[in-house]
Amino acid sequence: MPVRTPHFPDLLFGSAARLRRWEGVLMGHFEAHGYRELHPSLVLREGVPEGALRFFDGDDLVALRWDFTMALAGLLTRTFPAPPDRVAYAGAVFRRPVQPWEAVERFEVGCERIQPEGEPAAEADVELARMLMAIPGLLGLKSAILHLGNAALVRRPLEAEGLFGELADAVVAALSRRAPHRVKEALDGHPAAPRLAAHAEALLSELDGPGTLVALEASPYAGLLEAEREHMDRAMKALLPILPPNLELRVDLADVAGLGFYTGPTLRLWAPGAQQELAAGGRYDRLFPGLGRPWQAAGFCVRLSRLLDLAATRPDLFEEPR
Amino acid sequence: MNRTLLIAFPKGRLGDELVPMLAGTPLALDPEALKSRALRIPTATPGVAALLLKGADLPRYVAAGVASLGIVGSDTLDEMDIDLLELADLGFGACRLSLCAHLGVTLDDLRAKPHLRLATKFPKATEAWLSREGLTAELVPLSSSAELAPLLGLADAIVDLVQTGGTLKAHGLVETAVLGRSSARLVAARGAYLSEPGRIRPLADMLLGALKAKA
Repeated sequence: MPVRTPHFPDLLFGSAARLRRWEGVLMGHFEAHGYRELHPSLVLREGVPEGALRFFDGDDLVALRWDFTMALAGLLTRTFPAPPDRVAYAGAVFRRPVQPWEAVERFEVGCERIQPEGEPAAEADVELARMLMAIPGLLGLKSAILHLGNAALVRRPLEAEGLFGELADAVVAALSRRAPHRVKEALDGHPAAPRLAAHAEALLSELDGPGTLVALEASPYAGLLEAEREHMDRAMKALLPILPPNLELRVDLADVAGLGFYTGPTLRLWAPGAQQELAAGGRYDRLFPGLGRPWQAAGFCVRLSRLLDLAATRPDLFEEPR
Repeated sequence: MNRTLLIAFPKGRLGDELVPMLAGTPLALDPEALKSRALRIPTATPGVAALLLKGADLPRYVAAGVASLGIVGSDTLDEMDIDLLELADLGFGACRLSLCAHLGVTLDDLRAKPHLRLATKFPKATEAWLSREGLTAELVPLSSSAELAPLLGLADAIVDLVQTGGTLKAHGLVETAVLGRSSARLVAARGAYLSEPGRIRPLADMLLGALKAKA
């Protein structure tokens, strides 16, 4: 049984002021681009995952808001017959930590782009990437790296091979570890093993700029993934000319984090020397249909708590505040 | 900021195999420091040092980014729920994770026990095997010298790593089933690898090259 020490850090003067300043700057950035703020209640009464902080309100089991995307989805489907196309949020979420050093209370700022099902989504994906590209500069990070991925690069071959459940989870876990030898171990004896092992090798062969997409040609699923490859290629061509100084754009074909949730393009922001990603998001087109609404959506979340930790432990990664 | 890159090397069985393999390579450990009680050892490459850690602690140092790379047995990784990249199967340190009992006791004998007791350092792998086999058992968690448990009546059998079988033989035990296999793996901190590939990948390549040259 893992030991989890509850970790509820307080923010003192400098960090508290930085949090307030960063929230203001980022929400101003979203507002300037047409994203309107929603603030879902801190207390949720819907079914909650194990990792949420739960307690009784009288006889009712409730949870503190554990995820903005889920809380917003509840709010949007309850309140709007047609969704607002651009929304933003800021505040805290409360989750039991996976790693013992992570705090329970985490500050986040983020945005979502929501459309009726069937509308072209490529422009919305590029718009979100552009929004995220501006954020390192707004926060004063000296340099940053934006990883573009696509959950479909793994999801679609697994579905095409009829791989679900534990076996699919084992393949995804192996890819998450970037361990092609583990993919082979997991699929030992399965008829799709040679194809999926070759696909894993292709996904893990590069982690770099636009040339990375060429690695997909070696995959047995290259034909199946042609649309995804074109989408990533178009996104790179749209984003590279407007890349801010000190931001690097990389393609990460083996990004499988959140594969159960994401359905298409994914975005992850890193800073050289930071041990955790500073922002993450992507397309999650199955969320709203699962709640009975024919909408598609994508978004990203900036993890302000991690940025606050980084500013305290690695101030050399930030410009001096003006 | 030019920080020293740290690689976490295992103490014990894997470390005993690894250190001679690195001799004469750019990652050879300083022999004088090795003789001391120091746990941070310079290598032959300036700016790269090694941490000598117990296998069970090593993944935490890497996951937290203290060490950028590490070498650890896959048995240890499989027992821990920890977020790491596993860049290569290094091949050395190969051994079996086996169910071992007194000479003459078969797997069917163990299956037939109404209350089977298994002593092990590997509860997660043991539970997974029991589940696959449709068996239940009382697990007796141990951290060392599991071979003593059947001899002294603490358990009916053990689940432990077997390399040559010499230790088992010395205690009158034999393998009755192989649950899995283990070998040394090159692991990396996710954050360091994804955010600073220009620093970490050349180091991983240097380590792989050093081990390949000695293979």
